[in-house]
Amino acid sequence: MNYTFKWSVLWTGQSGQWLLQGLITTLELSAIAWVLAVVLGILSGALRTVPFRPLRWAATFYVEFFRNVPLLVWMFFWYFGVTPLLPRGTQDWLFNHGLEFWAGTIALGVYHGARMSEVIRSGISAIPRTQFEASLAMGLTTLQAYRLVILPVALRLIVPPGTSESLNLLKNSSVALTISVAELTFQTRQIETYTAKAIEAFTAGTLIYLVLCLSISTIMARVERHYAIPGLISRAQAG
Amino acid sequence: MKRTFALVLVLAVALMATPALAQDTLEKIKSSGTLVIGTRTGSPPFAYVNRDNQWVGFTIDLVEMLVKPEIEKAVGKPIKVEKKESTPPTRIPLLSSNAVDLIAGTMTDTPQRRESVDFSLTFFYTGAQFMVKKGSPIKGVNDIAGKRIASQQGSTNAKILREKYPQAQLREFPDQPAAFQALLQGQVDAYTNDGIQLYGLKAKAPKPDEWDVVGDFYSEEPYGMAMRKGDAKFKAVVDAGLKNGFESGKYFEIYEKWFGPKGELPYPITPQVKAYLLKQIGK
Repeated sequence: MNYTFKWSVLWTGQSGQWLLQGLITTLELSAIAWVLAVVLGILSGALRTVPFRPLRWAATFYVEFFRNVPLLVWMFFWYFGVTPLLPRGTQDWLFNHGLEFWAGTIALGVYHGARMSEVIRSGISAIPRTQFEASLAMGLTTLQAYRLVILPVALRLIVPPGTSESLNLLKNSSVALTISVAELTFQTRQIETYTAKAIEAFTAGTLIYLVLCLSISTIMARVERHYAIPGLISRAQAG
Repeated sequence: MKRTFALVLVLAVALMATPALAQDTLEKIKSSGTLVIGTRTGSPPFAYVNRDNQWVGFTIDLVEMLVKPEIEKAVGKPIKVEKKESTPPTRIPLLSSNAVDLIAGTMTDTPQRRESVDFSLTFFYTGAQFMVKKGSPIKGVNDIAGKRIASQQGSTNAKILREKYPQAQLREFPDQPAAFQALLQGQVDAYTNDGIQLYGLKAKAPKPDEWDVVGDFYSEEPYGMAMRKGDAKFKAVVDAGLKNGFESGKYFEIYEKWFGPKGELPYPITPQVKAYLLKQIGK
């Protein structure tokens, strides 16, 4: 390959600063979107299992609609599609106050909420039906049964697939660059623009994503061990 | 964890140890019988897919009619031209990895890029301007303080605005359609790109009369064809092709075809630009 590597482009000039800014934006975007995704996921995941049909339908509609359209389309939808429906004054305010970031966050959060929902539903389905019935028999309402019995157990069960889904969310945050959010991938392209050294810039981006994701999986593995209910989840020693 | 780390290490070493083997492009073309060019699909009239689904354009014609015959002469046999899509972030890696032999699109010749690739003679000269809605208060680069300006990511214009006009709020989009959509809906107040590309966009817009291309050039954008660095023989052949085109007038015929009054995008060549192009061959 006829290419002269020049790794110093990554620490000379403004590259370091850009990568840091990009990293911060990626983390902010992903963190807020993650909270949104988890809330929507728990809500719709739980609703899909309740013994009341209209609520199940509404939740199923949300999940199928949002997870079956590509994320890129959702980015454009929230940025280009929803904005014109707002009142003119609100639009102008948003245009000057980070519309790109918020459209990207909502797109990511709502999309991954639908995927998270399936993870949570599978966790709930893994709990024997009798536990729910026993909760009701003890005098709990449906809401209390979910809040106090079903969800606490389900959330422990879904830590591994939930982690995968969260890592996907983090990596998918890069799609927000299509609507001009200056996140990590955007910044690696920026370095390419300034230095014409694409391979070095993309390698730096790749390594940062890798380190981020590995750290998150390590933390989540500890969380899993910490919250595991003895006897309920049989599993090989993690590590 | 240890294993993952080892894997990363292997990847990193593999990336760094890729042999810096300079291949002779003419030899490669001779053995394969094909010149592979990296070009654009959505930059009319330089390189784009037209209504009849053909991949055509001014730059592609320059390759087909000026560069290709010269290469055929050099390798002593007829060759084919194969087109691949290249975008600003991918074009230099495509070239370095031998996936393409020549970048012929709308690539501006810059000093930074010259550290990684070689450029041919300049075959088009333009500069950055702004596209705005008719009646906009923005008339040029001096009116953009505090305004939201869209640009194409990876372009030289975005770089200049960031450095010299930090008061503008820059919004960078990966491609032209998204940036134009943002202008259309008011997310941004203006869209900046090379003047010629803005004219191309305006001509294709649903209501061309609603848009104005304004401002003096605030950057210089000489377009060149890019090649792997250090392949002097190949560069000499490409340059000879373009030079013959300038000398014989064939270049200006092709220019007329695309930018003349009946062309895809009427954009008369100015005397300054013509002088600039001819100065390269000592005229």
